Amino acid sequence: MLGALLYLRLTSLRNLLIFRLRRLKQPKYLVGAVVAGLYLYFFFFRRTAMMVSRGVPAPAVQSAQGIAVIFLCVAVTVPAVLRIAYAWIAPPENPGLRFTEAEIAFLFPAPFTRKSLIHFRLLSSQIAILFTSLLLVLFFRRFSLTGNSRLLVAVGWWVVLSTFDLHLNGTNLMLSRMKDTGSRYVLVRLAAVAAIVLYAAAIVVSAGAYINAHPDVLSGPAGMDAGLRGLAASNPLHWILLPFRIVFGPYFANGARDFWVAMVPALGLLALHYYWVSSTQARFEEGSIALAEKRAATRAAALRGDLPRMGGSAPKPLKGPFPLPPEGLPEIAFLWKNVLSMRSTLLTKATVIRSVLVIVFLSISLKPLLAVHARASGGDVYGPIIAMFCGIFAAYTLLLGPQVARQDLRNDLPSMDLLKTYPLEGWRLALGELLAPTAILTLILWVCIIVCSFAIDSSGSIEWLTPGVRVATALSLALAAPVFCFLQLIVPNTVMVIMPGWYQSSRSRGGGIELMGQRMILGLGQLLVAALVAAPATLAAMLIIFSAHLWIGVGPAIVVAALVVLTILGGEAAVGLWWLGERFGKFDLSSESR
Amino acid sequence: MIEVEALTKRYGKFTAVSGLSFAVKPGEVLGLVGPNGAGKTSTLRCLAGIIPMSSGTVRIACNSLEADPVAAKRALAFFPDEPRLFDYLTVRQHLAFVARIYGVAGYDDLAAKLLAELELTEKADVLPGELSRGMKQKLVIACGLLHSPKVLFFDEPLTGLDPLGIRRMKDSIIRRAREGAAIVLSSHLLHLLQEVCTHVLILKKGAKVAGGTLADVETQFSNGEANVSLEEIFIRATGGSET
Repeated sequence: MLGALLYLRLTSLRNLLIFRLRRLKQPKYLVGAVVAGLYLYFFFFRRTAMMVSRGVPAPAVQSAQGIAVIFLCVAVTVPAVLRIAYAWIAPPENPGLRFTEAEIAFLFPAPFTRKSLIHFRLLSSQIAILFTSLLLVLFFRRFSLTGNSRLLVAVGWWVVLSTFDLHLNGTNLMLSRMKDTGSRYVLVRLAAVAAIVLYAAAIVVSAGAYINAHPDVLSGPAGMDAGLRGLAASNPLHWILLPFRIVFGPYFANGARDFWVAMVPALGLLALHYYWVSSTQARFEEGSIALAEKRAATRAAALRGDLPRMGGSAPKPLKGPFPLPPEGLPEIAFLWKNVLSMRSTLLTKATVIRSVLVIVFLSISLKPLLAVHARASGGDVYGPIIAMFCGIFAAYTLLLGPQVARQDLRNDLPSMDLLKTYPLEGWRLALGELLAPTAILTLILWVCIIVCSFAIDSSGSIEWLTPGVRVATALSLALAAPVFCFLQLIVPNTVMVIMPGWYQSSRSRGGGIELMGQRMILGLGQLLVAALVAAPATLAAMLIIFSAHLWIGVGPAIVVAALVVLTILGGEAAVGLWWLGERFGKFDLSSESR
Repeated sequence: MIEVEALTKRYGKFTAVSGLSFAVKPGEVLGLVGPNGAGKTSTLRCLAGIIPMSSGTVRIACNSLEADPVAAKRALAFFPDEPRLFDYLTVRQHLAFVARIYGVAGYDDLAAKLLAELELTEKADVLPGELSRGMKQKLVIACGLLHSPKVLFFDEPLTGLDPLGIRRMKDSIIRRAREGAAIVLSSHLLHLLQEVCTHVLILKKGAKVAGGTLADVETQFSNGEANVSLEEIFIRATGGSET
C-alpha cells in the first residue's frame, strides 16, 4: 500500500515538474515564472536578508512580531476549529473521507481493506502537510518568537496541522459510522454542538473576566504582547486552552530542550488521534464518492469562472429578473440571462442576507467603541470611519469587482460557439454581456457614494463641504460610476478574447509559480489600464474645477467637470466596446489549442 | 441555400480545410464524412460563422457570411455535438432568451409545440443540471429550431443519444429536409448517412476526396462491383487510414 502511494505521489510530482518545466518554453509561462520568482525573492528572501543584516530588531518591533505570531496561530486555529464544529453542526448527507475521483476509481475496487484506504488518506495528507509546514516556515521566518531553528519551527507546524487533520478525519469517520448505524446520530451531534458552544462560551467568559480585571491588556503593541501571554496563562483559561497549548507547545517552545519536552504531550495527543481514526469502523465509501463529485463540480465551476455556491447546494430555478418579451433590443436578453445567473451564484438570497447582517452588525458594534474614542478625543470619528470604509470598499469594487462579477463573456466562454451563431454584431453582443456586471457593480458603488456623502464630515467641520457641493459631488460620481465600471469590465473581457491562454490563468487556482506570475501581470495590467483610462478624465476634471470654481462656485464647477468626464469616459467606452466586438468576431478559441 | 466556394481554414501553418466547394439546395441533406482530423468540424464551424474562414466564400440563404454575417446567421442553426447550455436558465427560460435574440414574435405557441414534440413539456421549469444528456440535446434542438431556420448544421447529432433518441433525431432531420431546409451534418456513423443523407462529401486532410449523391459516390468507388457497402466505399475513398 505504502509503495503504491509513494509511486503514485512521486511519479505524479515528477511528471508535474517535467510538464511545468517543459511549458516554460512558451513565453507566456516563462515571463510569468520570472515575474513571480522576482516577487517571491524580493518579498520573502531579500527583505529577510536585509532585516538580518540590520541586526536584532528593536523591542517594539519584537513585540509587534510576537503579536503577529499570536494572531497567525489564532488565524490557523479558529478556521480549523470552526471547520470541525461545522462538521458536527451541518454534516453532509453522507460524511466521508477526502479522495480524488481518480483515487476512488482506482483504489476503491482494488483489493485493499478499509483500514488501508484510511492509511492511504492519512499518508496523502501528510505530503500536503509537510509541504505546508515548510511553506509556513518560509513565509513567516521573519516573525521568530523563540529563535528556534527552522527545522524545529517546521516540526512545530507539522504537529499542529497533523493534529487538526487527524481530528477532522476522525470526526468525519465517527459521523459516518453513527449515520450508518443510525443510533443516536442526532442526539450525539446535538451533544457535540452543545459541548462546542459551552467550550467557546467558557473561553469568552474567562477572557472577558481577565480583560475586565486587567484593562491595560490591549493597550498598544508593547503591552499587548505581554498582555496576551498573561491572558493565555491566566486561570481558568490556562486549563481550558490545554488541548491547544499541547498542540502549539512545540511551536512556542523556547529552545531545543523545551521543544523536546513539549513534543512528548503533543505526540501523545497525535497518537491518540491516530488510534481514534484508525480504529473507527466506518463505511465511508459513499460519502467519499459524494465528496469527490462535489469537489470536482466545484473545480469545474471555478474553471468556468463561477464562484462556489454558498453551502454547495444545487441551484434552484429562479424567476427572471423582469419579463422578457421577444420584441425589443436583444442586448437586454443578455442582461436578463446574466442577472439570473448572478442571482444563482454571486447574489444568492443567503449571501445578500449574510452580507447585510455583517454590515449592520459591524456598524452597530463599531459605534460604542468609537463613541469612547470620540469622548476622549472630543470629535466624531464614527462618520469619517464609515466614510473611509465605504471609500475603501468602493475602490475595491472598482478594481477587484470586475474580477469577481464575471457574468459576462468570460462566464460564457464554454458556450462561445453558440454565441457566435447568434445574428448580432460583435459589439452588440459584447454590450449585452457586459450590462449585468456593470449594473451590479454600479449599484454597489451608488450605495457607497450615498453612505459616504452622508457620513463624511457629518459634524460639518469642513467649511467648503456645503450641502450643494456634497450633492453635486455625489451626483457626479454616481453618473461616472457606470461608465467607469463598464470600462473596467471591458479590460478583462478583451484580455480573454485576445489572450485566452493568459486569461485562463486568472480563473484557476494554484498551477505553479508561472501561473502566479501571469495572474500578477494581469492584475497589474488591469490597474495600469484603469489608471490610463481614468487619467484624461481626471486631469480634465481637475483643470475645470480649479479654473471654474472661482467664477461659478464649487458645486456648479463639479457638475461641469462631471459632464466633461462623462463625455471622455463615454468616448473611451465606445471605442473599447467597438474594439472588443471586432476582436470577438475574430475570436477563435480552437486556434489556441493547436 | 448553402453555397461554398474555395473554403479554406488555416491554423497558423496547418491547413485544416483546403479549397472546399459545394452547394446544398433546399430539401437536401449533405453528410460530411472523413477520418479523424479530416476537417469536418472546422468546415461546419466556418459555415456556421463560429470561426472566421481564412479564404473563400460562403453564402447562406443568399447572404454572404463575410459581408452580411448577421443576415446569414439569422437563417441558420448550428447543433454542436456537446450540448452547451446556460447553467442557471430553465428549459423555458432558454427558449425565452433565444426568442428575444432572434426576435421571434409570438414564440409561446411555437415553444410549446417544440417542447411537446421533443417531450420536454414536463421539464420546462427545470435547470439543465437536472436534465439527462439526451434531454439537453433536445433542448439545444428546440432552441435551434425556434426561429425556423432554413439552414441546419449538425455536428455528430447522434452522440450520447439512446436508441429511441437516435430514431427520433433521424426522423426529425428527414422531416426538416422535407419541409425545405438545407442540412449539413457531420458524422462518423455511416449508417446514419445511408438512412438520412441525399448527398455525401468525403474529406481527407481537409480536402474533398469525393462528393455527390450517394449513388454517384457508390459508382465512383465500387469499381464495377455490385452491393458495395458504404463502409467499403469510405475505406476505398480515404485510403483506409487517417493520414
